[in-house]
Amino acid sequence: MELIQQFAKRFESLKGVVHTASGDGDAARIALSICADASARAVALSHVPRPFQATFAEGCRDSGVTVVAPPYPHDTLPGAIDGAQVGVSMARFAIAQTGTLVEVDVDDACRIVSCLPRTHICLVRNADFVAELYDAAPRLRTLFQENERNCVVSFISGPSRTGDIEMKLTLGVHGPEQAHVIVIDDA
Amino acid sequence: MSDEHITKLKEDIQAAIADPTRREALYTCMKRGRDQRANALLDWPGGAAFREDVRAAKDRCLDQQDELMQRFIANAEQRGAKVFVAKDGPAAIEYVLNVAKKRGAKTVSKSKSLTTEEIELNVPLEEAGLRVVETDLGELIIQLVDERPYHLVFPSIHKTAKEVAEIFTKATGKPVPNDIESIMGVVRPYLRPIFLESDIGLTGANVGVAETGAIAIETNEGNARLVSSIGDCHICVMGMEKIVETMEEAMLMVAAHPLSATGQCPTTYVTWMAGRSPMGEGEGQERESHIVILDNGRTAMREDERLKEALRCIRCGACMNICPTYGVVGGHTFGHIYPGPIGIPWTAAVHGLDAASTFSPLCISCGLCKEICPAEIDIPLIIAEVKHRHMKEHGAPKADRTMMAADRFAWLGSATAPVSNWFLKNPLFRRVLENVAGVDRRRTLPPFSRPTFTKQFARRTVAQPAAPNRKVALFIDVYANYNAPKLGMAVVDHLMRAGCDVSVPKQTSSGYPYIAYGDLEKAGAVARRNVASMVLAAREGRDIVSPEPTAAYALKKSYPSLLPDSEDARLVADHTYELFEYLLMVQNGHDAQPLKGRRFGFHCSCHQRPLGSGEAAMEWLRKQGAEVELIETGTCCGMGGTFGLKAGPLGYDLSQAVGQHLFEAFLEADIEAIVSESSVCAIQLAEGTGIPVIHPLELLQPPQQG
Repeated sequence: MELIQQFAKRFESLKGVVHTASGDGDAARIALSICADASARAVALSHVPRPFQATFAEGCRDSGVTVVAPPYPHDTLPGAIDGAQVGVSMARFAIAQTGTLVEVDVDDACRIVSCLPRTHICLVRNADFVAELYDAAPRLRTLFQENERNCVVSFISGPSRTGDIEMKLTLGVHGPEQAHVIVIDDA
Repeated sequence: MSDEHITKLKEDIQAAIADPTRREALYTCMKRGRDQRANALLDWPGGAAFREDVRAAKDRCLDQQDELMQRFIANAEQRGAKVFVAKDGPAAIEYVLNVAKKRGAKTVSKSKSLTTEEIELNVPLEEAGLRVVETDLGELIIQLVDERPYHLVFPSIHKTAKEVAEIFTKATGKPVPNDIESIMGVVRPYLRPIFLESDIGLTGANVGVAETGAIAIETNEGNARLVSSIGDCHICVMGMEKIVETMEEAMLMVAAHPLSATGQCPTTYVTWMAGRSPMGEGEGQERESHIVILDNGRTAMREDERLKEALRCIRCGACMNICPTYGVVGGHTFGHIYPGPIGIPWTAAVHGLDAASTFSPLCISCGLCKEICPAEIDIPLIIAEVKHRHMKEHGAPKADRTMMAADRFAWLGSATAPVSNWFLKNPLFRRVLENVAGVDRRRTLPPFSRPTFTKQFARRTVAQPAAPNRKVALFIDVYANYNAPKLGMAVVDHLMRAGCDVSVPKQTSSGYPYIAYGDLEKAGAVARRNVASMVLAAREGRDIVSPEPTAAYALKKSYPSLLPDSEDARLVADHTYELFEYLLMVQNGHDAQPLKGRRFGFHCSCHQRPLGSGEAAMEWLRKQGAEVELIETGTCCGMGGTFGLKAGPLGYDLSQAVGQHLFEAFLEADIEAIVSESSVCAIQLAEGTGIPVIHPLELLQPPQQG
């Protein structure tokens, strides 16, 4: 799909990594492999699809990797998530033009899953891509209408970066150093 | 004394010029910012067209500000946020202190907020016993050395990696190597515990959205995500002018801001936050979000006819990236708290006219900031207004008064030529002139001619074309009238040979120096006089051209802004053409190639940028057979009209520093001469490079006189 290719090109130019998976199970396999490369001992999840979570958690069990998932008790936070080397979340949709993932959270515990750990893995379904940044505006309005009280929408376009020293680019300050996207093809 | 406010400024300029390492670092960064933006716009749909949209959206929302603010507050409160409208800095500070006290807070982590710097929030918080830590890396660096921001977007851009390593060595007590990667390896663990333990997370907001009651916070680092999530108490301080109505308008700002600042779109993270989310499950979390909407002079700005446009500012810093004098002296000299061109009106509005006047003279009125501003703010005119207000109270410095009267000196110089030229070359006379009038003795001044162009034109015997296909009114301005009448006659000759009937209506010089130095009363008077005369020509169906780009710019851009209610000014502007734009239109038959084999470097003067950027002149030269290369740094040559004539640091010295890289670029190019339409840029480039500088029309054989 052209939008996915456009997204991938852009996300990779921003130093992110894009993977494609054929279904939740395959996505879990890819996620496990990323965790292995990151030498992860603990992984924190946000709200992810049940089939993905089941396969992923089993794989982690097999390699002795701890998995923490919602619901998070308040008094274990933020430490429980800071202790994870990888955070896995799901994007509601993605923007092809700008290489942007759009996460929606009503619980900040889930929000920090894509902030605190060094490696971030984000799942997105291949049907959930829009073409341009401006296309996101009406979607956001709807999201805020659907959630009448608190709601946080997060745009994520690659790993964390700064140019504050001599305008030279560096990654991983203070958010994730690595940002992976797994595009799940539901066909 | 009208020169007092610039004594310290001159010292600071001298110190900045004398620091080549810092100058080189600043120049490189600013150029990178300009180039990255330009490259990004090549790919962005519509290129720079979004500027019009930003301007329109901002104007609309500012008009409805009161209503939008009420809607924002209602929606935000409905979602569970607490909103406080602070009439000034002290009110905002008191509110934040009360929240901190009620919560028994000990540590405040901050993501970047210029608005909190505007009101100097950190100091009273620290005095109340709170630990306040900036988490934006640039802000953290300047916090650790107790300095003010050097640039809106890159507050620590003046610090080299080596200096930053030293700062963190001191802060951590462990030696930090000089490379950026090692520094980051230290910064991350330094700040991580602070993110995790903060009681209060304090953010700014780039936009407030009325229709949803949400704020948008942009960062590249992700620090705002951490600051706005972990600490149980979130506080946002936001200027009231940041509020827009719709998500569409908000998205436009979120795109325009980083595109203009660094060529990114969007920033790595944008957090759209409404209400206050819990942190995991469990009762009794006591999580709060407070939004402090700051006035601090913004309502007064809305009622200030000239200054209110500055409220459109989205804090991108592009004006700084292109400003020639900022690019040499940086934000500590060119700023108070808000730096750069837009910092002048903002400082005047929120920190006072005196504070703004400590750096407003650094504006040389090149107009480049206006061409790059994503909200199309007429920054040069607003700066002129700030200068004007100061001048009304304190008078103008001596050198400025000389330059505002430049056309009268030119008249005298021409009337007494060639004796005047002898004086201008006499070192003793030049020393006296420097002391008395503030004209730098080192500056080579173009010689004066007699008789003036106007007289020569009146005496000419060659008849106008019998059946002219076009009619032209010539606006001659200072140089072609008093120094180079042959150039004026060449313009007339080219136009007449192309079948134009040429007239020279009654006129004075453009009066642009009055704008540059801030005498807007005189600038308006000159504009009215010239418009009254030129409009008669326009109504006669005459097109208006000028051999001097600044004069064309004055007619086309400045006069309508100075006289916003004048239909005549608009008519004159509509009839004004850039000279070579016009020549290309009226001349045909370029079979002879008189300039074949010649190689030139073209210099585009700043005032030409909105008039076609010299493209027409280059095309015209190429039609004559010449090879032409545009040579530029993306910013001014440093002359700034008459600015480079002024003696010392706030004039000649600074202008040389600005021009340095451009001089080098011309010297490196394989060209035989520099071509420029601007008489004043020509002075600067000729002196700076030693290469001959010629007006395009002077390149051809002198036409028949008569």
